Amino acid sequence: MDLINNLALGFSTALTFANLAYAFAGVLIGTLIGVLPGIGPIATLAMLLPTTYALEPTSALIMLAGIYYGAQYGGSTTAILVNLPGESSSVVTCIDGYQMARRGRAGSALAVAALGSFFAGTVGTLVLAALALPMVELAFKFGPAEYFSLMVLGLIGAVVLASGSLVKAIAMIVLGLLLGLVGTDVNSGVARFNFDVPELADGIGFVTVAMGVFGFAEIIANLEHKGTRQVFTDKVGRLLPSREEFKYALPAVLRGTALGSVLGVLPGGGALLAAFAAYTVEKKITRNPDPPFGQGNIRGVAAPESANNAGAQTSFIPMLTLGIPPNAVMALMVGAMTIHNIQPGPQVMTSNPSLFWGLIASMWTGNLMLVILNLPLIGIWVQLLKVPYRFLYPAILVFCCIGVYSINNNTFDVIMTAAFGVLGYVFFKLRCEPAPLILGFILGPMMEENLRRAMLLSRGDPTVFFKRPLSLTLLLMAAALVVIVLLPQINKTREKAFQEGD
Amino acid sequence: MKINDAKDFWSGVMFAAFGLFFVVFSQRYDMGSAARMGPAFFPTMLGGLLLLLGVVTMFKGLTTKSAASKVDRFHFRPLLLVLGAVVAFGLLLRPGGLLVALAALVFISSLGSDEFRLRDVLLLTIGLAVLVLIVFIYALDMTVPVLPAFLRT
Repeated sequence: MDLINNLALGFSTALTFANLAYAFAGVLIGTLIGVLPGIGPIATLAMLLPTTYALEPTSALIMLAGIYYGAQYGGSTTAILVNLPGESSSVVTCIDGYQMARRGRAGSALAVAALGSFFAGTVGTLVLAALALPMVELAFKFGPAEYFSLMVLGLIGAVVLASGSLVKAIAMIVLGLLLGLVGTDVNSGVARFNFDVPELADGIGFVTVAMGVFGFAEIIANLEHKGTRQVFTDKVGRLLPSREEFKYALPAVLRGTALGSVLGVLPGGGALLAAFAAYTVEKKITRNPDPPFGQGNIRGVAAPESANNAGAQTSFIPMLTLGIPPNAVMALMVGAMTIHNIQPGPQVMTSNPSLFWGLIASMWTGNLMLVILNLPLIGIWVQLLKVPYRFLYPAILVFCCIGVYSINNNTFDVIMTAAFGVLGYVFFKLRCEPAPLILGFILGPMMEENLRRAMLLSRGDPTVFFKRPLSLTLLLMAAALVVIVLLPQINKTREKAFQEGD
Repeated sequence: MKINDAKDFWSGVMFAAFGLFFVVFSQRYDMGSAARMGPAFFPTMLGGLLLLLGVVTMFKGLTTKSAASKVDRFHFRPLLLVLGAVVAFGLLLRPGGLLVALAALVFISSLGSDEFRLRDVLLLTIGLAVLVLIVFIYALDMTVPVLPAFLRT
């Protein structure tokens, strides 16, 4: 069978000593940074991306993927122990996880989160491997018109998931698309919006944008909240869940995994949507929950944690097969691949099979390492939470600055990052969610390129997007998403869901 | 006119300003035609859309019926010190070398915290310098000047 052969190739790549070591390093460092409150996977990835430049592409991507799910997992630990979500997808974990910690059951919550995540990660990896081939075949049917429509759908999907105002989220995407256009236009060779600054002729580096808008702005925002945080460090408790907890958690893990695997593939989907949806489903279908949701029900940890990990894995599908990132984290992965001179898209699987399958297989080994790493080492992460912030943030800044510099050996980039830090802080103050901006930023040049090609092929006829059936389907899906979100009933629940998150 | 939701209003102003900037600035480049788009075509379209979205957001901020909201106070101290430290790092790296730039970065950014303690900051600087030398210079073999220009051979 093809799938078996491909996975065999993948494991032969992932199980080499070097790649195991890089996956381990990624998972370890990812967890380390992810545990720190207020630093989510996007900021972690942006910060650590430069450390992988020196590696060969396969190892670099394996390490980055490890950083991603490590950071995601680290975020849940913080959510449970400190009630501070490291990132939006652990917001729901906070609700019941922290309550469990207050009741002295932090250990079970952490164990269920780890085991649920591992199970979900395994399933997610299999789904990814199984869907990769058919998706690549579909991708070869895509022309520029389809790609353009797919990106529209992806961006609309991202908008639906951003918290707060829809119009503002759309505006952030458009701003991201525009910022992505800065630099030399590939078709005409004209340098656009560069103000005659030679460094801008190559465009703004996406690490610069991501690090400034997420990393620096988050640090400044953290410095102004001086809330004391209560860490439940001394009573993590027994790690092994009781038989009763296990009985409740198991079906929740299965449901969360199924839901997460499906939602991760959708454009705009991924960990966040999966976690929210899984929590809502658990709340709806559990009769007479004891303790009630919001007061430390283990299902409220098991379902969203499994779902966000499954979603995190399957969101690699559109990125790896179509080259279209479904969310901001995948946008960063696309950026990372481009830096290593790999153009993401359906050709990666055929031109670089060992990278493609190796990366997929490494996700499973990486998830296994996460469980092995996290359960026994939980004490170390707890200690890390005790390190005062005044030591952490200068250290984070040092790694960010050296990282940005090392991309092009250019100090101009470092100063640009500070400028984006100002912009990110303004976004934070105006409650403009920055994730759609990053997605737009990566998609900007791709969108322009495909729009141009589609219009050239149709000799300037814009109806081409509606005449080709695949493209029409994608656009109709995007329109349906907009309509659904604008329905008053849904809009209300959506706002409520995000308020619960705040 | 009374502003009801200041966050929305000012976000709208920001988006409209960015939109206007891109529309105006794009006109320096060739527009082309729908079939053969020039470098100005897509940015003009998007800039116009952003301008429109900005105006809509501003309007929403003026008319919204929900409770009035203000923009939270800007904390300029951490903003200036953290980003100033980054800029200082960028400016000092070439002439001063990695160690000087790192010390400036750690020192200036630490002033942004309320609990600045000189001894701790010195220890942190030394610890980070050692770590960075091991990770970036010896392990990753990064090409970056370590010592100040006048000490280099």
